[in-house]
Amino acid sequence: MTVDVLGIRQRSASPSFVGELFRREPLYAGAALCLTALIAPTLVAIALDERTLLGVNVWLKPLRFEIALTVYLATLAWFAGWLPERVVGTRWCRTYAACVVAAIAAEMIWIGGAATLGTASHFNEGSLMMAWTYRLMGGLAVLLTSSALVYGILILRHRNSLLEPAFRLSVGLGLVLTFFLTVAVAGYMVNNGGHFVGSQSTVAPGAPFMGWARDRGDLRVAHFFATHAMHFIPAFGFVVSLVLSAAVARRAVIVSSAVFAAFVAYTFGEAVMGRPFFAVSP
Amino acid sequence: MTLDTLFQLCTTAAMVGWLVLLASPVAPTLADRVSGLIIPALLAIFYAGLVMAFWTRAQGGFDSLPNVMRLFTKPEIVLAGWIHYLAFDLFVGAWVVRTARDEQIPFILVVPCLLLTFLFGPAGYLAFACLRAARARITLASSPFAAALDRKE
Repeated sequence: MTVDVLGIRQRSASPSFVGELFRREPLYAGAALCLTALIAPTLVAIALDERTLLGVNVWLKPLRFEIALTVYLATLAWFAGWLPERVVGTRWCRTYAACVVAAIAAEMIWIGGAATLGTASHFNEGSLMMAWTYRLMGGLAVLLTSSALVYGILILRHRNSLLEPAFRLSVGLGLVLTFFLTVAVAGYMVNNGGHFVGSQSTVAPGAPFMGWARDRGDLRVAHFFATHAMHFIPAFGFVVSLVLSAAVARRAVIVSSAVFAAFVAYTFGEAVMGRPFFAVSP
Repeated sequence: MTLDTLFQLCTTAAMVGWLVLLASPVAPTLADRVSGLIIPALLAIFYAGLVMAFWTRAQGGFDSLPNVMRLFTKPEIVLAGWIHYLAFDLFVGAWVVRTARDEQIPFILVVPCLLLTFLFGPAGYLAFACLRAARARITLASSPFAAALDRKE
């Protein structure tokens, strides 16, 4: 049995990557395409708008969310090809996917809308409406992240999957970890009232594009790695399932998942103690 | 990017679109793609970026003429409005060309409609609508079906 990462066994008439995404999970693929399309006008807005928030252009945050959510949905659309056939296309599955996409649309409207107003979206307690919207969006963020958990559990329990067992384990564990680590880090960030630990205003410019602070703790570092467990761990699982025997690969995946979770905990602890992420500190 | 740069860029892009439409008899597929899709979409991207960046800081609104005039006191919004003209006029121009081709309307009759659409948007659309209506009546009157009806009466 070999790893079916390219979906060769399930491949149909559309040989392209994008075509394959649309075949596996049309709704997520379509939503990812719409999010990608938003990137172009957002770049125009960055070029024209002079307003800043916490020292950076107000449109940088919508841009980051457009890219991040595109990657998230495209990854889930790809992983959808490994869900058990009995759940794909069922009514609850379609309804749930529609709810996830609706939650993502609401988040983007909220984040983009706040940018048009030149104000903060997350952590905005400035008015009653913004404060309550922020709370509602927190709930929707958990809903959209829960798709990783649901996919992870379904893939872990899909015993007669065609995937190499160690690789399937890495995909499942990565997805489940994405949910729990992200919700834990983001939950702490909500109580912290901002992503910086220490002063919430910025003095030094952050890391390139990511914007992570170099002079204080920044909880977005841990959030980033937590959310990308679904990429790092399956990537590792893909490699080890190619080069190691099944039993060893399985153990390697379990150990690497634990190491990755520990790494997220480390970046989190670093931020909580007010220290910048080691790799980008001056 | 300055507003002047953006203005020049968008006006040039629209001009290219109109020239491609004039060349559409020799390159119909290219005209449909470039003038009917790619350039209007490009203009729409710039329009959307401008609105995202400046709409909430504009005064005025859509509800009365003085409010619309107040809206157009902000250069960024005027530029957005200008790009709106450019994008939609070109889109309608491409639609005119496509529709005329489908209905075998000679291109020489389409050119004046295109010129009007280019300069005065809705007037060009109106001219083309009249042209289509007139041709539809003429075709109907000269069709064998109409002749058969006449014989019965």
